[in-house]
Amino acid sequence: MIIARFLGPRVWILVGLILAAAVLVPLANLALPPGHPLHMPSYLVPLFGKYVTYALLALALDLVWGYVGILSLGHGAFFALGGYAMGMYLMRQIGSRGVYGNPILPDFMVFLNWKALPWYWSGFDAFWFAALMVMLVPGLLAFVFGFFAFRSRVTGVYLSIITQAMTYALLLAFFRNDMGFGGNNGLTDFKDILGFPIQAAATRAGLFSASCIALAIGVLLVGWITRSKLGKLMIAVRDAESRTRFIGWRPEDVKLFAFTVSAVMAGIAGALYVPQVGIINPSEFAPVNSIEVVVWAAVGGRGTLIGPILGALLVNYGKTVFTAIAPDSWLFVLGGLFVFVTLVLPRGIVGTIDHGWDAWRARRRSAAKEKGESGDGDGSILPHPAE
Amino acid sequence: MMRLVRQFLVFLLIALILPIGAYAQSSDPAALIQSFGGKQSFDDTEAVVKKLAAAGDPQVARALNALSKGDLVYRKSDNQVFIASGRGTVDLFDPLTGTKVGEAASRDFSKVRVKNSIRRAVTDALGSLTLRSPDPNTRMAAAGTLFSTATPEAMKTLDAAIAAETVPAIKTKLEEARAAAVLKSDEPAAAKVEAVKTLAGKGDRETLAMIRGVAATSKDAQLKQAATTAAVSIENTIATWTILQNVWYGLSLGSVLLLAAIGLAITFGVMGVINMAHGEMVMLGAYTTFVVQELIRTHAPGLFEVSLAIALPLAFLVSGAVGLVMERCLIRFLYGRPLETLLATFGVSLILQQAVRTIFGPSNREVGNPDFMSGAFDIGLMSVTWNRLWIIVFALVVFVALLALLNKTALGLQMRAVTQNRKMAAAMGIRTPWVDAMTFALGSGIAGIAGVALSQIDNVSPNLGQGYIIDSFMVVVFGGVGNLWGTLVGAMSLGVVNKFLEPYAGAVLGKIVVLVLIILFIQKRPRGLFAQKGRFVDA
Amino acid sequence: MRSAMTWMQRTALAATIAAFGVSGAVAADTKPKGEPIKVGILHSLSGTMAISETTLKDAMLMLIDEQNKKGGLLGRPLEPVVVDPASNWPLFAEKARELISQDKVAAVFGCWTSVSRKSVLPVFKELDSILFYPVQYEGEESERNVFYTGAAPNQQAIPAVDYLMNEGVKRWVLEGTDYVYPRTTNKILEAYLKSKGVAAEDIKVNYTPFGFSDWQTEVSAIKDFGSAGKKTAVVSTVNGDANVPFYKELANQGVSAEDIPVVAFSVGEEELAGIDTSPLVGHLAAWNYFESIDTPQNDDFIAKWHKFIGNDKRVTNDPMEAHYIGFNMWVKAVEKAGTTDPDKVIDAMIGVSVPNLTGGYSTMMPNHHITKPVFIGEIQDDGQFQVVWQTPGLVPGDAWSDYLPESKPLISDWRKPMSCGNFNTATGKCGGAGAEKAAAN
Repeated sequence: MIIARFLGPRVWILVGLILAAAVLVPLANLALPPGHPLHMPSYLVPLFGKYVTYALLALALDLVWGYVGILSLGHGAFFALGGYAMGMYLMRQIGSRGVYGNPILPDFMVFLNWKALPWYWSGFDAFWFAALMVMLVPGLLAFVFGFFAFRSRVTGVYLSIITQAMTYALLLAFFRNDMGFGGNNGLTDFKDILGFPIQAAATRAGLFSASCIALAIGVLLVGWITRSKLGKLMIAVRDAESRTRFIGWRPEDVKLFAFTVSAVMAGIAGALYVPQVGIINPSEFAPVNSIEVVVWAAVGGRGTLIGPILGALLVNYGKTVFTAIAPDSWLFVLGGLFVFVTLVLPRGIVGTIDHGWDAWRARRRSAAKEKGESGDGDGSILPHPAE
Repeated sequence: MMRLVRQFLVFLLIALILPIGAYAQSSDPAALIQSFGGKQSFDDTEAVVKKLAAAGDPQVARALNALSKGDLVYRKSDNQVFIASGRGTVDLFDPLTGTKVGEAASRDFSKVRVKNSIRRAVTDALGSLTLRSPDPNTRMAAAGTLFSTATPEAMKTLDAAIAAETVPAIKTKLEEARAAAVLKSDEPAAAKVEAVKTLAGKGDRETLAMIRGVAATSKDAQLKQAATTAAVSIENTIATWTILQNVWYGLSLGSVLLLAAIGLAITFGVMGVINMAHGEMVMLGAYTTFVVQELIRTHAPGLFEVSLAIALPLAFLVSGAVGLVMERCLIRFLYGRPLETLLATFGVSLILQQAVRTIFGPSNREVGNPDFMSGAFDIGLMSVTWNRLWIIVFALVVFVALLALLNKTALGLQMRAVTQNRKMAAAMGIRTPWVDAMTFALGSGIAGIAGVALSQIDNVSPNLGQGYIIDSFMVVVFGGVGNLWGTLVGAMSLGVVNKFLEPYAGAVLGKIVVLVLIILFIQKRPRGLFAQKGRFVDA
Repeated sequence: MRSAMTWMQRTALAATIAAFGVSGAVAADTKPKGEPIKVGILHSLSGTMAISETTLKDAMLMLIDEQNKKGGLLGRPLEPVVVDPASNWPLFAEKARELISQDKVAAVFGCWTSVSRKSVLPVFKELDSILFYPVQYEGEESERNVFYTGAAPNQQAIPAVDYLMNEGVKRWVLEGTDYVYPRTTNKILEAYLKSKGVAAEDIKVNYTPFGFSDWQTEVSAIKDFGSAGKKTAVVSTVNGDANVPFYKELANQGVSAEDIPVVAFSVGEEELAGIDTSPLVGHLAAWNYFESIDTPQNDDFIAKWHKFIGNDKRVTNDPMEAHYIGFNMWVKAVEKAGTTDPDKVIDAMIGVSVPNLTGGYSTMMPNHHITKPVFIGEIQDDGQFQVVWQTPGLVPGDAWSDYLPESKPLISDWRKPMSCGNFNTATGKCGGAGAEKAAAN
C-alpha cells in the first residue's frame, strides 16, 4: 500500500495497461475466431512481442541515461548477450532434430567439424541455468566494465565512445566462427521452449504475455528505484556529479548500481526477444543498433517512465509500416522524424507534453493562489531530463 | 677491298638461306604471326607463342605484346592478323613492323583470345627475346623474368648479355638470373657455391626458397654449408624488412584513420557536436570525385590525371556547404546539448545515405586512379604503393594546413576563442554564430577532402561513411577530444598497433585487441592521450 | 486525477499516431484489382546489402512485368509486393511473415546472405510458403519450402579449383570473409585439395572481417606465400564490399594474374562496375552465367533489362539469371498445377525444365537445387568476363557435400514417398545421423 502510493497513480495506470495487453492480445488471438473483427492475426503477436522487448530495452537504457545521465552506446551488447544465452538454451533443445541429427552438437558445429561442445556451452540445456546466465552475463559484464570505468571517472562522451567500443569489439568477436556461437549466421532454427513448440500460436501468445509481464515489472522496478532515496541521488549525479561527490556521496557506486541493473534488464529483454523473432546473430551487437535504442528513448522522452516505452513502440511500428509501404524512401521518413523530434520536441514526446502540462498547471496554481485556493501538493513526479 | 668482298659474301649467304627460311614456314615470324588468325583453341594459340619464342627473332616482341594486351585481332573475312587500337573505328597496324596499314570498323574483326597461361608464355618468351633490347627498362624486366624462368640452357645467352650489359643494376639482375640457372644445372659444386653467394645479396623470399632447396638436397658439404649460411642471412634480412613493412603499413593505415577522423576532430573535438553524419560528409567527398571524373571522361578526357586536384576544392565546397546548411538549420539550436546532436545528426546521416542511394543508385561507382596513384616501387624487400604514399603525404599536408589555420589565422583565433569561452568571445565582439557556422563547415569540408583520398582505396558506395564513423570516433577520443595533435598521434599509433597485431592475431582478432586496448587506455587516461587541461573541462 | 488526465492526453496522442500509421498501411494493401496473384520480393533496399540486392528487386519487377505482358499467369495478373528488410536479419523474418500472412503472396523471391535465408527459413516452414533463393551458397541445406537457384559448392568452387589445377597450380591461398559461406566452402575445398594430393603446407587459409578495407598485410602475405617457387593461386570467397579495396591493393602491389591468379566466387559484373579493371585482366571468377555469353536468349534478356532500367550501362549478373530461371520455373509449375497453392506447386516444381540464358535448359532436381553449366571467366579491361573454360555438360547441384564427413551419407529427395531433405543412406533413415549417434554416445 505504501509502495502503491509511493509510485503514484500514473505508474499504476501504465502497469495496468501493459498487463491488460498481456491478457487481451493473446485472448484476441486465441479465443476469437479468425473472422471476428477484433481477432488479432497470428503474425502480429510475435511482432508486437518484439516491440515489447524493445520497449523493455529502451526502459533499461532510460534508467542509466534519463536518470543517471550515462549515455550508453553499448546497450545493444547486453541485449544481445541475454539473447545469446537464451539462444544457446534453445539450440540445445533442438536435440537430434537438426539437419545432421546430431543429438549434442548444433548444426553449425557439425559442418565445421567440431568434435565436442565447447565448455562454455555446458549447462545451457537446463532452462534455469540459461535463465540465470541471461541475467548474470550482461550483469557481470556491466559490473566489471562499470567498476573500472566509473572508478576512473570516465564520463560524458568518453564513456559513450568506450561503450561503443565494447559493443563493436563483441560484434567482431561474435562474428568469428572460431568463437563457437555460429558466426554471422548466429543461432536459429529453434524448435521448443520449455517443451512447448516455439511456432505454436499458444506459445507465441505465452511469450507475448511474458514479455508484457517483464515490461510491467521493469516499469515497477525503475519507478521504485527512481522514486527512492537512491533515485534522488541518481538525479543528483546526473545534474551535478562533482557537487554530489563534494557533499560526500560516491557517484561511482550509484552509477555502477544503475548500470548493472540496467544491463540485467536489457539481458532479459534480449532473452525474450530471441524466441519471438527466431534468430540471434552478431548484428544485434552492431553499434548502430545501440544508437537506435538511444533514439527510441529520446523520441519518447527520456527521464520519464512511459517515454522510452512509447518511443520504442512508435519508432518500431513506424519502421514496420514504412518499410512495407515506402520501401525506397522510408529512411527519409525515419531520419526526418529524428531531426523533427530533436528540433521541435527536445524533451521527447512525453517530456514535451509533461512540460506543457506542468507549465499550464503552474500558471493555474499561481492563479489559484491569488484566489486563495490551495493546489494539489503532488507536483510533477517525473523529473525532467538534463538540458 | 677486302671489306667489300666480305660484305658480298655475307650477302650471298643470306640470299641463299632466305628462301629456305621462307619454305620452312614454321620459323618465319610473319607467317607464324598470321597463324594466330581464325578461330582456334587456347592450346593452338599457346603453341604458336612457343614457336615464335623458339624462332628467337626479337621483331616478334611487338606482336606478342599486343597479343598479351588483347590488341591482336584478325579480320573475320580472311583471318589476316593486325594490331588494332581504338574503339568503334580502329586503327590497324602491321603486327611485325608496326606500320599503320589502315582503318576499319571494329565489328569486322575478332580478338585473338588469350588467357593467363598464354600471357605467361608471352612473358617468358619476351624474357629471352628482349634481353638485348636497346631500352634499359625492357632489359630490366626481361632480367627479372629470367630469374624465375631461367633454365640451365639459358646460361649461354645470359653470359653474352652480361658481357654486353652497361647498366650496373641490370648487370646485377642478370648475374642473379645466371646464378639461379647455375643452381638448377649440373655445374660443379664450386660454381654453385659462387652462385649461392651471388644470390645471398638478393635476399628475397623467392631466393630463400631456392637456396633452402639447395641446402636440403645438396650432397656437397661445402655447398650445403654455404647455402645454410646464406639462408640464415636472408631470413634475417627478411625479418628486418618485415618490421619496417609493418611500420609502413601501420603509418599508411594511420594516415587513412587520420584523414577520416580529422574533420571529426573539428566538429566533435572542437565544437562538441557528436556528429554521426560525419561519415556521410566523407561519402559526399568521394561522390564528388566520382562526378568530377565522370564529367572529365565525357567532356575532357585529357584532364583525367588532374581529376583529383579538381575534385579536392569541389569536395571541400560540397561537404562544407552541406555542413553549413546542417549547422544553420539544425546544430545551432542544439549547442550545449551534445547528446541531442547525436540524435539529430543520426537522422541526417540516414537521410543523406538514402539521398545518395536514390540519386546515384545503391551499387559501387567507379573512381579511377590517375597514373601517379597507381602501381608500386620497391625499397629493399618492401613494396611501397604510390597511392598509399600519396595518401600519407596528403594526410600530413591536410593536418599541417589545418593546424596553421587554427593557430595562425584570424578565423582560427576566433574559433578557439569561441570554443574556450563563448560568452567572453561574444563580449569581445566576435560574431559567435558566424564562427560556429564556419567551424562546422570547415570540419565538414575537410571530411569531404578525406573522401577524395578514400575514394582511391575504398568502395564508393552509400555505405562508405558507415565504415569509418566508429573508427573516427575512437581515434578522436583516444587522442583526446579537442586536440589536433592527439588526433594525429592517436591515428598513427592505432594504425601501427593494428598492423603489428594483424600478422599474428589475424585481422579480426587484431581489431578486437585494439578496441580492448582503447577501453583499457581510457581507464588509465579518462580524457584521452592529450587531455585538455583547465577549469572549463569538467563543466 | 490530474495525472490521469495527462495520461489520457498521452494515450490519445499515441492512439492518433497509431491510427494514422494503421490507415496508411491499410490504404496500401487494398488496391481494387481483378484477383491478382501476388509475388513477394524480399530484397534489402537499404543498409549494407542494398548494394547487391537492389538490382535483384529490379530484375524481379522486370520479370513480373514481362509475364504480365504475356497475359499474366492462369489468366490473372501478377502483382509484385516489394518490402525492404533493410539488411537486418530479424527484419527479414518479420517481413517474410508479413508477406505470407498479411499480403498472402503465392511465392517469395528473395534473400542474399546465408543468414537472411536462415532467418526466414522457420517462417516459410511454419506458414508453408515458397522461397526462391538466387545466390550461390555453402550448401548443407535442403528444405521443402525453398528452391535454391544459385550455385551449390559443387557448381562453382570445385570446378574452379579443377580448372586451376589443370593450369598447373600447386599452392593455394583460401582467402575469405569470416562467415559461414567461406568457412564451409573452404572446408570443402581443403578436403578436396587434400584428396587430390595437395600437402597441408601448400594450403593457407585466411579470414578477414566484413567490409575489410585495409588489405596491405594480407596481399603482402599472399605475395610471400606465392614466392616459394610453386605456382600459386588465390581462391577468394571475400564478400561484396571488401572486394574493391582487395582488388585495388592487388593491382597496386603488382600481383598480376600471370603470377598469382585470383579466382573469386562472389565477384561478378556488378561488383566490377565499381573498379577500373585494366590492372585486373586475367583474374578469374567462376559462375553459372556471364553477361558476355553470346546467346540469343541472353541478348534478348540484356536488351530488355537495359530498356526496363533505362540505362545501357547497367550490367547483368549470375543471381539475376538465377531469378530468371527460378521465376520461369515457378510460372511453369503453377501452370502445371493449375493453382498457386504452395503444396501443389512444390510438388509440381520437381522436374520442371526451363531455358537458361546460356543456351541450355536448367531443370529442378528432387533436392530442390537445379542443374547448371559452370563457366570460368577471366576479367577483361571493360569490366566483363571472357569465358576460358566451361563444364562439358550441366552440373546438378549437390545439397550435401561429399567432402565433409558428416554430410557425405546424406541425400535429399523431396519426391514422395521419400520426401526428405536429409536422408541418411548409411542408416536408411530421414533426419541426419539421428538416433544411431545418440545410442553411440
